[in-house]
Amino acid sequence: MPDITVAGLSKAFGQERALNDISFTVHDKEFLTLLGPSGCGKTTTLMSIAGFQRPDEGTITCGDRVFFDQASKVDLTAQDRNLGIVFQSYAIWPHLTVFGNVAFPLRIRKVTKDSLRRRVLETLELVEMAGYAGRYPHELSGGQQQRVALARALVYAPAVLLLDEPFSNLDAKLRERARDWLKELQHTLGLTTVFVTHDQDEALSMSDRIVVMNAGRILREGTPEEVYRQPRVRFVAEFLGRCNFLTGAVGTGPDGDAVLTTAEFSEGITVHGRHDGPSATIAVRPEDIEISSGIQLDAPGTGTEASVLHASYLGDHYHYRVAVGAMQLSVHSQRPLAPGPVRLRIPPGVATFVD
Amino acid sequence: MNSLATPGSGPGVSTVATLRPAGYPPAERGRVRRLVPETGLQAAIWALVGACVLAPVVPLVYASVQSQPLYAPGRTFTLAAYRQLFTDPAFRTAALNTLEFAAMTTACSLVLGAGFAVLCSRTDVPGRRVYSRLFIAPILLPPLGLILGWNALYGPGGYAHDFVTATLHLPLNLTSVPGMAVLGAAVAVPVVFLICQAALAGTDAALENSARSVGASPLRVLGRVTVPMLRPALLNAGLLVFTLSIESLGIPLVLGSPQGHDFIASYLYNTWSSGFTPDPPVVSAGATVLLAAACLLLVLRGRLLGTQARFVSNGGRGTTAAGGLHLGTLPRWVLGTLFGLYLAATTFAPIAALALSSVVTELTPLIAPWHLFTLGNWQTIGQGTFAHSIVNTVEIALAGAVVTAAVVALATAVAHRSGFRLRRSLPFLMLFPRSIPGIIIGIGFFWTFLLVNPPGSALRSSIWGIMLALSVRSLTIAYFVMSAAFATVSESLDDAARSGGASWWTAMTRITLPILRPALLVSFVLLFISILNDYDPALFLVTPGHEIMGVSMLQALQGGTTGPVAAMAMVQVAITIAAITVAGRLFTTRIRGNRHA
Repeated sequence: MPDITVAGLSKAFGQERALNDISFTVHDKEFLTLLGPSGCGKTTTLMSIAGFQRPDEGTITCGDRVFFDQASKVDLTAQDRNLGIVFQSYAIWPHLTVFGNVAFPLRIRKVTKDSLRRRVLETLELVEMAGYAGRYPHELSGGQQQRVALARALVYAPAVLLLDEPFSNLDAKLRERARDWLKELQHTLGLTTVFVTHDQDEALSMSDRIVVMNAGRILREGTPEEVYRQPRVRFVAEFLGRCNFLTGAVGTGPDGDAVLTTAEFSEGITVHGRHDGPSATIAVRPEDIEISSGIQLDAPGTGTEASVLHASYLGDHYHYRVAVGAMQLSVHSQRPLAPGPVRLRIPPGVATFVD
Repeated sequence: MNSLATPGSGPGVSTVATLRPAGYPPAERGRVRRLVPETGLQAAIWALVGACVLAPVVPLVYASVQSQPLYAPGRTFTLAAYRQLFTDPAFRTAALNTLEFAAMTTACSLVLGAGFAVLCSRTDVPGRRVYSRLFIAPILLPPLGLILGWNALYGPGGYAHDFVTATLHLPLNLTSVPGMAVLGAAVAVPVVFLICQAALAGTDAALENSARSVGASPLRVLGRVTVPMLRPALLNAGLLVFTLSIESLGIPLVLGSPQGHDFIASYLYNTWSSGFTPDPPVVSAGATVLLAAACLLLVLRGRLLGTQARFVSNGGRGTTAAGGLHLGTLPRWVLGTLFGLYLAATTFAPIAALALSSVVTELTPLIAPWHLFTLGNWQTIGQGTFAHSIVNTVEIALAGAVVTAAVVALATAVAHRSGFRLRRSLPFLMLFPRSIPGIIIGIGFFWTFLLVNPPGSALRSSIWGIMLALSVRSLTIAYFVMSAAFATVSESLDDAARSGGASWWTAMTRITLPILRPALLVSFVLLFISILNDYDPALFLVTPGHEIMGVSMLQALQGGTTGPVAAMAMVQVAITIAAITVAGRLFTTRIRGNRHA
């Protein structure tokens, strides 16, 4: 499958800048996710690739085919781009059966009757819907409709698969199953996929690479681990799960690593990497902070004194709101702790600098 | 290209090996598509609608500033026609009559229509569901039939005239301007009723419930919340009824004109058909004045309501105020009975009188009808011009409804589902004919057929010219139905087809329009009824041998024939009711068989 390259994409709706210089490449067989809050421009980007939105500037290419180029006035219509799309609403045609829905793109392509039938049934089998070929969409559940939409998008072997929040209409349990199933299918078939979502769990669990967007800009691009561990931008850190931010003075530790010192953490927090300038902000995930009961561990040097203000039980862990001096932090722990004095420790290397 | 298939394990991927890319061409590459680009097709649809809607208007205005009719040689530019029009005392009287009629019709229909709508949708009047449907009946029944029925019942020498004037002491004189306004209001009530009902269904009943919860009595809520919230709807309905009233032709032609009470439309028609010169420019001038008034009202309505027609969504929300307003036993039944009497007096009795007068030699209160029983009227219409005009009308209505439904469906698709540059002008073009008086469409197409030849004279000497005029006049109805229907179908359905490789035409004809089949059926039936029962424009276009029902009825009426005309009107009523019934059946079975979740 060819790469998709988006370069310098911009679009304005009136005064609103919906897209601002968006550039990224989706490689062969890669699962790329556009992640961001609603209104961040992710769907506009996807629909620009699909050909349903016309950007104001930039280029979109698929292999050696130019989909869109504002400079040379190329704008291929949606039907000429040969992409498969699964819409958020699935957009299953209510007047056609499951078979009719999946067969439609092949009928457009004048595929002969026999190979059309074979191909449609193969694709339906692939999405485990072969037994439902004669049903009408209103006789299917949400999850089944989604599979039909996927089959319809795959049946003509499109160059790239585009997914617009396909799980948002499923309930939580089904969503998780559909996620795993789709990821496995994508991987097995080697489908180049662009996926749009606002759900960080979906993004982290399915993607090869994540592009985090906000307010029409790309803030961070990388593998799920990179984006989660080194968010670099405060917004990215906050959007992907909970995060604590600490601002303080930066010094250099004995082994060359940066050390951040704040009023609360006077002994310093070791951060891998360097930082220029006298002060900085770091991000620390709640699960990376070590917390222990302050009564037993009162030896000096083993942490910062703090006190638990509020505890909530979330099944697989506890979430604590902890006061350290004048500031409050979120801490996750498997261990139950009573409200009262505790000790906190931020191990070296878990914190990263953010802008 | 790519290798879609890599054999592997996992759920449902056992067939992956066979799922190799079949080397399909990326999209439609047919010859047709290359020859007729998408935009060309959309432009053609746009041009067709534009030409049909503007065809009657432009030549009319041109004809009004000429010294001679358009077929005469030696014409010069002049405003003499307007001078002649405004100095004619008969025109001035007709204009005043028209304004008086329109004002009274509007006032009466607003009070009755809004009252019925509020009582039916917000109180517990017995039978309100049935009444809600019956109140709409006059809009679907043939207007000429209703006029003739009223005339047979309440007109001078009518069957119930003495009962109404002597026994009930109601000073009803159907041939006077106020008398005609009573009939006008009865015909206009459904328009007001429908608009107010939609507005009431669209407003959240929580607004009323919250007024009740803070302690307002139900009657107070009705007066202080419900009715004031209807103000925009009343304004809209009032302007619409007024616009429809100033173009009335059938009512004065049948009732007032013989007694010397002309309206603008009947004045123009009489001048046209019986003046010294045939088709004088003064008629075009008068029609242009009428057109200007109608356009002014259209612009006014647009200003007051916002240009976009808003479609009220009435699904899912708790529409009726909790329990509605409880009227108390006595007022309930009194109102319910009054509703029944109103419907009987304005709709059922006139149709019954019409039916009766079609089977008697003369309908008179002086002799019992069974002494005058005859089938002669029905035998008369079974032959000659009458029979011919029935066949013509059904042909026109069927063909016109099919063609118009198709064109409007495609034009609505261009307007709401395409990237065509001029698409935003289409809704206006399709709403415009509703505001053009029928007489203008008649006179306008008369000139157009004369100026644009071919196909002018071919259209003029057949029934197809009349079909074109009647179709243009009715196309707004179809646009209302189709634009509301398009709004209910998500655009992602056609986007899905486009991304699957379909062109705009394929996406519309294979996906979107098939989904809209029920709406297409409704639009077809409404067009059929509308074209079947319409006659105003045809009065100016008819040529011997190509009569339609309404025209041959009016011509016979002017010759003093009443019995066969009543029989003809009953034929119209029967076809109309049959069409609604058949469509209703088809519609419900289709919905049941093909319910889209």
